[in-house]
Parts: sequence; C-alpha cells; structure tokens
Amino acid sequence: MCARCLEVSRRSLLVGGGVAAASLATGVAQARVLPRDMVPLVGPGYKPTEKDEQGIWQLMDRAEEEIAGSNLLMTDPKLTGYLRDLIGKVGGPAARDFRIYLAHIPEFNAMMFPTGFAVIFSGLLLRMRSEAQLAGVIAHESGHFLRRHMIRSWRDQRRKSDIFAIAAMAAGVGGAAGGAYLGDYVQLAQLGTVLSLFQYSRAMEAEADAMGVKLIAEAGYPPIEMANVWQQLIGEETASARYRRKRRRRGSLFDTHPSPDSRMADLKLSAAEVTVPGRAYDDGRARYLSAIAAIRPMMLEDQVKLNDPGASQYLIETLAQDGWNGLLRYYEGEVWRLRNRRGDDARAALSYAAAVAYSDAPADAWRWHGISLMKAGRMSEARSAFARYLTMKPDASDAAWVRQMIG
Amino acid sequence: MNKLVRIAIVVAAPVGLGACSSVGAGEYGFSNYALVRVQRVKVGDGSLTVTPPRPYNRYRAFLWADVRDVEDWTLNGPYLDGISFVSGLKSGAYLVRQRKSADQQVPKFRSDMTPPEIVAMLESLYRVRGGAVEFRTLSLQPRPFLGANGFQFDYEHLDSDELWRKGRAVGAVINGKLYLILMDAARSHYYATILPDFESIVASAQMRR
Repeated sequence: MCARCLEVSRRSLLVGGGVAAASLATGVAQARVLPRDMVPLVGPGYKPTEKDEQGIWQLMDRAEEEIAGSNLLMTDPKLTGYLRDLIGKVGGPAARDFRIYLAHIPEFNAMMFPTGFAVIFSGLLLRMRSEAQLAGVIAHESGHFLRRHMIRSWRDQRRKSDIFAIAAMAAGVGGAAGGAYLGDYVQLAQLGTVLSLFQYSRAMEAEADAMGVKLIAEAGYPPIEMANVWQQLIGEETASARYRRKRRRRGSLFDTHPSPDSRMADLKLSAAEVTVPGRAYDDGRARYLSAIAAIRPMMLEDQVKLNDPGASQYLIETLAQDGWNGLLRYYEGEVWRLRNRRGDDARAALSYAAAVAYSDAPADAWRWHGISLMKAGRMSEARSAFARYLTMKPDASDAAWVRQMIG
Repeated sequence: MNKLVRIAIVVAAPVGLGACSSVGAGEYGFSNYALVRVQRVKVGDGSLTVTPPRPYNRYRAFLWADVRDVEDWTLNGPYLDGISFVSGLKSGAYLVRQRKSADQQVPKFRSDMTPPEIVAMLESLYRVRGGAVEFRTLSLQPRPFLGANGFQFDYEHLDSDELWRKGRAVGAVINGKLYLILMDAARSHYYATILPDFESIVASAQMRR
C-alpha cells in the first residue's frame, strides 16, 4: 500500500482543487485581481442553458444526492442552520440558491461544487477563530460559483472526453480517473476527484479571493480576516512540516493556490481597498464560538488524536490567542502525552494540572490529571482527581477501571 | 496489526489499491493468507499460543511490512472482521511500521503505560492509519489476562467508508511487554458472529515458557 498516496490524497482535496493545478502558472507574477472588478456572473436562480453545462449539472445532482445521504455528515439543525445563514450572508446574488453540508472529517477543507452546493469539513470549523474567518472561506468558495469557474476552466481545457470520467465516478464506478489516488474519504474523495477535473487556475483562485474579500466586507465582516485565515494555515503547515523535519508537506494547500506570500500580500491590499473608513466591522467571534461550542471538544479530540504534534500544538496556541481555558489546556496536555518523547509525560502532567484549575475543565482532564499523579506516585491526590472525574461523569465508559484505581 | 491497518485502507480504498500497485508495495509489503487449523498455535513472535475454535485465515505480511510481535487473522476477510495478536511488544516499539516523516503517527508503546494510555494508542491507530472519523470508547474495565491484571476495552468507530465497526481488546502489560488480543468487525452481524470465537481464543491464550 502506498502511504504517501494517502497523505497526498488528504491534502489534495483542499479547497476543491487537484494538485495538478500547481504547475499551471508557477513563477509567473500576476497583477492583483481587484475586488471592484469582481462582478458576479450569475444571478439568483441560475440554471444552465448550454448542453455541456447541463450535462455537468445533471451529474452533480446525483453527486449531491450521495453526499446528502452520507453518514459522515453532521446534521445538527442548529449548526447546519447557522452555516446556511452564513452562506446566505456572503453568497452574493446566489445566496438563496446555495446548499451547504458539514462533513465530520478532521481536515481543513471546503469545496464548492459547480451546481452551487458546498461541503465543509469539520476540521475547518475547528481552525476558524471567528465568524468573519469562516465567512471568508465560504465567500471564497461562493466566488468560484459566482464567477462560474468550474465551467470556464472546463471549457478552457477542452477536455470534453473527461465527462465520461465524471459519469463513471458519479455512478460510483471508478475513483482513480486522472491518475489521482483518493483512497481516503471514499465517497467524498471521489467527488474531490470530480472537482479536480475542473482545475482552477491561480488566476481563478485570485478572483475567488478578491470576490470573497468584497463579499465579506459588504456583509460587515472585517475583510482582513481572509488574510488571517491564510496566515494561520501557512503557520500550521509549516509547524507540522518542521516538526517532522521536512521542508513542507507534500500535496499541501499551496500546490493548488497562488504562492502564499504573494497571496497574503494581495489579500491585505484588497482588504485595505474595500475597507470603508468609519464603518464598524464585526468579526462575530462570540457568535461563532457559541455556534460551535457544542462540537468544539469533539473537533479538538479528532485533531489531537491524529498525533500530528506540530500542527496540533500550533493550532491550540492559535486558538488560545483568544484566551486559554480548561479545554485548550487539556488538549495541550493530550498533544504532549501522545507525542510521547522524553519529558513529555511531565509536560502533559503540567498541562492537565493547569487545565483542572479552570472551571470549564472537561471531566477527562481530571481523569488524566489523576493518571499523571498516580504515575508520579502521588496516590492520595490521584484518588481525589479520579473521584472528581467520576462525580462529573458518573456513567463514564471507563468508570470500572477508575474505581479499581481508587481502590 | 498490519491487518488492522489494512482493513481500513482496503475498505476505504478498494480502487486505490489497484491504482497504487504500480507504485510498488509501498510501506506495507506484500501479503497472503494461510490456513490456521483448530489446534494450539503460536502467534506473533511465538511467545503466545492460542487455540481457535474453528479454522481461521492468517494474514501474513512479509518483507519490510512486518512487525514481528503482531499477527492478524480473519474469518470473512479483512473488510468484515479480524482478530489481531500482539505477543509481547517491547517498550519503545510501535504496533505498526511507520515513517518518521509521516505527519500523523501512531504513538509508541511504553512499558509504564496504564490501560487508558494503551487504549488511546489503539484509538490513534484507528484514526491515523484506519481513517476512522468517529471513535467511541464503550467501556474500559479490569479483566485478568494471561494470569495478570489486565483490561478489556470495548469500542466502535465510523470509518471513512461510512461503515460502523465494533471491537474488543483484551490485554495486559507483563514484564514490561504488551500482550493483547483484539477483534474488530463490522458492527452489524459480523461483530456478533466472531465475538464467541474471540472469547474462546482469549480464554485459550497462554504464554510460552
């Protein structure tokens, strides 16, 4: 088996592009796309009129049916309603036509399909620090739709025979068309392959950025947050790669997107351009944190248990810029514990001890605090930590084991 | 545990395996199946013996794929069910071969690990190498194993092929080494089918002197 393929496949899905797009415009400096030039090319209730596009829509409808029925979807109505409202705010003229699905997959990813439905991975929600940041990603994806990037790239590349590849994939027949191995999240990954056939050029990514900045600014979000999202992602990828002593991750986000530095610079310039002096912008952080509060522990769990210490640690520290709390300290401890290098158990123990000092410390923090104390030979303190754990979580799945430890 | 990994990868990527074969055997090597008869057999590196209640298929990985202390069996094929044996994994060793440069890693075993730590190591195995997107601990309780104070761990997980699987592991750390027998199967039908086999295999387990 090809483990490398797995890594690449995970990353190659990022933001709806195939890795192949990387080579299209390497090293060519491009003039910045101006937000004011970004006029939506579709209006409300858009339906294709030409044959090739109609064919694609038909197949995409089947793809959407499959996705809508997947048991990887998170269907909590509060959360999905929140996302629907958000795309309603930053979706431009097509706002009411978009559909948005949330998949329980611990990766940073969001993708827009040619018919106007978007799939967001839960790993993306974990990484956003405010509603403005999430709105920025969604607006970027909306931009691809509003600027009709899928059909434009399709026609540019004149690869009409690929329609058969799409048909085959939508029918669930094959997944390796185009030579891309996408073995990981099968159902969704196959659809990722579908998307990779609509390779966005860097120019299109730049358009989507400019459009996105414009859309979120109009909706009253600070437009600079789009640049901040990129900064965070660059930081995370770099931290993960440095940790494993690599230059950077293969198949990373930046293979499909404009070079991070020029992109950052463009996003900052565009943000400054659309910012209206005197207007109040709200990043909606409190609203965002309350919307994801119920699933944040689960999302942290998903990330940290992947044992990618460089990325997880960076991520936790980034989230902690808005303030440390018991949850973040607990997961910081989990990062060290799973990393399991010399001295990490002591680091983890410190984090657990710090976590339980917060009133919002999760029950699990008390359990691990107890285990750390027990391993350090501090049995009586360990017992009281375990007792606290059982008080908070009387029907804990490991209660029998913990009771045995208490003796 | 190679099979355990393979389960998930095979399951998650029936197409991908073919697509990848041109790249070579990759990290996991080649493999085949061999019959396990109803008699006392050595498993893993030979320091553990068990008696299966009916014939099983031993899944062998060889070349560089192999972790010596780990052996995998299946009844209906790795998509559907499997039983894995860990026969004395040493401190500092891993359940699977992995590259140092992989972004996501299965934690290494340490002899001072408590059952919750071993359980977390298994959870990471499923998440990192198996592509599990949801993992639930159903119970962790004390259970004697091989005459030592061991544990029983029950869990279920939703994998990226959208199938729920369920498993049970029974293990103990003896003289600083991890001994473990683990079953993992599709939650509907197959779990219940091989659970009695698993229990009888666990009951039959003996350390070789």
